[in-house]
Amino acid sequence: MSEHRIEVIINGEPVTARVPARRLLSDFLRDDLGLTGTKRGCETGICGACSVMVDGRLVKSCLSLAVQADGQPIDTIEGLADGETLHPIQECFINGGGLQCGYCTPGFVMATCALLAANPRPTTDEIRQALNGNLCRCTGYTQIVESIHHAAEKLHGN
Amino acid sequence: MRDFDFLEPASAAEASRMLLDEPEESRLIAGGTALMLGMRQRMLSPRRLISLGRLEALRGIDFDAKEGLRIGALTRHAELAADPAVQTHYPMLASMAARVANPQVRNQGTLGGNLCYADPATDPPGCLMALDAQVVIQGPDGERRLTIEAFLVDYYTTALEPGELITEIRLPPPAEGDRGHYARHLRTAAEHRPLVNLAAWVRQRGHGCEAARLVVGASTVVPTRVPQAEAYLMAHPPSEATVDATAELIASGITPLSDARGSAAYRREMVRVIARRSLAHLFALPLE
Repeated sequence: MSEHRIEVIINGEPVTARVPARRLLSDFLRDDLGLTGTKRGCETGICGACSVMVDGRLVKSCLSLAVQADGQPIDTIEGLADGETLHPIQECFINGGGLQCGYCTPGFVMATCALLAANPRPTTDEIRQALNGNLCRCTGYTQIVESIHHAAEKLHGN
Repeated sequence: MRDFDFLEPASAAEASRMLLDEPEESRLIAGGTALMLGMRQRMLSPRRLISLGRLEALRGIDFDAKEGLRIGALTRHAELAADPAVQTHYPMLASMAARVANPQVRNQGTLGGNLCYADPATDPPGCLMALDAQVVIQGPDGERRLTIEAFLVDYYTTALEPGELITEIRLPPPAEGDRGHYARHLRTAAEHRPLVNLAAWVRQRGHGCEAARLVVGASTVVPTRVPQAEAYLMAHPPSEATVDATAELIASGITPLSDARGSAAYRREMVRVIARRSLAHLFALPLE
């Protein structure tokens, strides 16, 4: 089993680590770095609770090896808030009731970041398409979609 | 997931040599979205993963009006969907790529990886077959090209020989009158894998079709062209009756899979339905 020295930039901070080849990116973030905001849900690439950004691309960290991320920036849910001040997307999910148990929420918030970066004012249909890789078993999605509309307004105006 | 070594060759030739070192124990990894699933479920337990991640030569999309389209094997589905040349000259391909799996997988999974995995329940192979694509294969004895028909052999089985890998996918240049439409059927909107898909491509001349490639995917072990339906479509002027008859020929011309996701009868009927709608769309015909 090979071991690898990887250099990544996690939420803006350079991190160097040694990982075995088989270390999943989700396990690296949670178990090695203690960044437990990224959730392990289905562990089969369906639920999207483990979604993070690698080099600006939304991916499922349970389907990625840590070694594959070598040399790249990784953004997780922990990087969104500015100290005690939540990111507008996080605020809108709270104010709009875009969550119930909250387990899937980091994945949805990261998916929303990716969507609004590419498409500042998405339609409801575009929002639903963008959430196709994320499952929520509580909300029924309606308030998640509304929260994202509010976040788009807040971030990018009318 | 069992332990393995992770190797990072610097060229396709080196990757080929590494594959040949221990062919039974080695797998290539590109994006890894499908491979990780197979390994985590221990359906696959390679002792060596040979990563193509450092091979910049396998990236990129280039279009030339005479040469056609070159798609590097490491092109991600999202990159294919967003590429201006693909959107302009091969809109069917861009539209297909925008629907593969889900956003996260499109951002990581690659076209070459998708083809080499040869999972029947997927989108790209049938669409590429309808567009007359070829794969460029690098191996220990140099380079060769195969059509998609020759490349896909069986469930999860390709024509790749030991030490071979796909470096790029080539599409012929488009001509005046080329039109294509890609359609898929999912059992529920939440599913990510198509139960049935149909890639329809025609070259129109005047009121008729000079050429046609009609390919059913996801409901057959490998994507299947239906020559009798293509011949019928070329022999008859586009009309609702032609569309109906061609759709019937497509549905009756395949041997559908039958499994927990859908019976053969259900799949055949869905093939007929999406074929009829796709062809009507292609010829801008209203349907009842």
